[in-house]
Amino acid sequence: MFNKNTVAAGVAAFASVALAAGCAVADGNKADDVDITAMSAEELAEHLIFETNSWRDQEMQEGGTWRDRMTQDDIQKACSFDSTRNDLDGETAGQVVALAREQYEAPEGDIELGDWRKGAELADSGYGYRIGHNVDDHGTREAGGNCYNCHVMDSSVSVQGTIGPNLENYGAQRGDSQEIRQYVHQVISNPHQYFPCTQMPRFQGLLTEEQISHIMAYLLDPESPVNNR
Amino acid sequence: MFKKALLALPVAMAVGVAGTAAQAEWQDPNDVLQMLLEAQPDSKYLHQSEMNIMMMPDNPALWLLDDGERLFYEERGPNNASLESCDFGKGEGVLDGAYVELPRYFEDTGKVMDFEMRLVHCMKEIQGFTSDDSAVSQRHGSGSDIMRLTTYIAHQSSGYEWNPPLDHPKEKAMRDAGEVLFFRRGGAMDFNCAACHGASGKQIRASVLPEMRNSQEWTKAVSWPAHRAGQDNVRSQNHRIRGCVWQMRHAGILPDTPVNTALISYWNDAARGEPAILPDLKR
Ligand code: HEC
Ligand code: HEC
Repeated sequence: MFNKNTVAAGVAAFASVALAAGCAVADGNKADDVDITAMSAEELAEHLIFETNSWRDQEMQEGGTWRDRMTQDDIQKACSFDSTRNDLDGETAGQVVALAREQYEAPEGDIELGDWRKGAELADSGYGYRIGHNVDDHGTREAGGNCYNCHVMDSSVSVQGTIGPNLENYGAQRGDSQEIRQYVHQVISNPHQYFPCTQMPRFQGLLTEEQISHIMAYLLDPESPVNNR
Repeated sequence: MFKKALLALPVAMAVGVAGTAAQAEWQDPNDVLQMLLEAQPDSKYLHQSEMNIMMMPDNPALWLLDDGERLFYEERGPNNASLESCDFGKGEGVLDGAYVELPRYFEDTGKVMDFEMRLVHCMKEIQGFTSDDSAVSQRHGSGSDIMRLTTYIAHQSSGYEWNPPLDHPKEKAMRDAGEVLFFRRGGAMDFNCAACHGASGKQIRASVLPEMRNSQEWTKAVSWPAHRAGQDNVRSQNHRIRGCVWQMRHAGILPDTPVNTALISYWNDAARGEPAILPDLKR
């Protein structure tokens, strides 16, 4: 499943923009007919995204159109604030956690770890879901997890990112119990359950359960280089 | 030789459209960079590439200036006209300081336009090129007319402070919408721009990321055109947006569209008051 609400919310938003602007929803590229100064900044941003032909007409890798991909779901909406200026307030945080728990699909039964070698490749790979002038073809190459873009996992491998915390010795420090596996599965699938409005993507729906099990092995298997740093 | 390098005459402080005095003195891009490096000795972003700092006086982007100048003054296109009658906001053919005062509202189109949009507009209206002509359709790469013109025109604003006008209500509206877009989460991986450009000294792999709230980091961040050493080509602001939007897994952004304009309105505003490095040299 892809983490999207229906497109309905987005459609309602354009309708209100059109009303606020006092005109019919722009057809095609008639953006010029709209009085952009009559809109709030938020309304204008939505207008620019949805009514000005700013995107290539392509089918997204997960299915659907650019419109589906650019339409925000409730978590994306709630987290669209300037976190350098405003802290996340308690109420929004609670709502985001609740939404994330609702979206999350727990695996049935015990969680098995996959192959940490495959997990290492997936953690390194930034392939997948990119579109536009250069389209990632999931038919020829599987999507990866981008984990190294943000986390140091095995600092001997290559240069790794620092947007997220250092995960070296992650399993060595925490062990490999079912509880830990459940927690890690929840974080990779939908990290907003623990870190509301985190920058980390929700991977449930982007990666398969099998891929997630390999990445979990990379983090938790005692044999994995992550745990021998 | 480059006109500017020879005639680097300090121009007196000019009064901006908003009535605010902005730095209006041409400076060599390397001098601007050196000044920023000295002002921010601890910025990991500004100091990340010793190699690029050393190469800056011989920035390969400077090689495009002569061609850009020729393309600007040459009579070209179906109308056999030069671009001297193009108004980038400070009057027909006035290039000094024009680049750092964009995007802006243009009476003749009724729209807020960013630099590339305006350049393409002039090439079509004045010179008669159509969207299919390679002069206009080819946007990227050091060999393209657009990048040569962009580099030449932008260079005339090197050292001037970013000062995009916000007097017209549409200019303000686009800047404010750009701010919303910067923080708007979306796409397959829930990214907004701030996810990667919100905190100082953070890294995506080997790239140290510029922080938007640090205007001296940010002026370098938005100083395009820049030669990208890793791609061995001169790149534009619009090329940077396309690259980040692609990494963000949003949809495929098209050129000459107002989402670009709004983002540029916001990011140039965030560098306001800091001198531009034109052209710059990046990783
Ligand atoms: C865009 C950056 C980004 C990407 C990509 C990313 N993460 Fe994260 N991750 C974060 C951030 C930031 C946090 C810290 C949570 C917070 O405070 O927001 C985090 C937290 C975590 C944690 C929890 C650490 C703890 O304290 O228990 C784990 C585990 C984790 N990430 C694993 C992964 C894995 C595995 C991948 C790849 C499938 C990945 N991350 C991809 C940014 C990222
Ligand atoms: C997933 C992380 C990520 C996101 C999200 C992101 N960027 Fe970037 N951005 C980068 C990286 C990495 C670089 C540096 C490229 C390099 O060094 O190769 C960069 C570079 C830039 C630069 C130029 C600075 C430089 O030195 O190259 C600007 C300006 C910029 N981004 C603006 C934006 C805007 C605007 C958005 C939102 C539309 C955005 N970015 C979203 C990762 C990101």
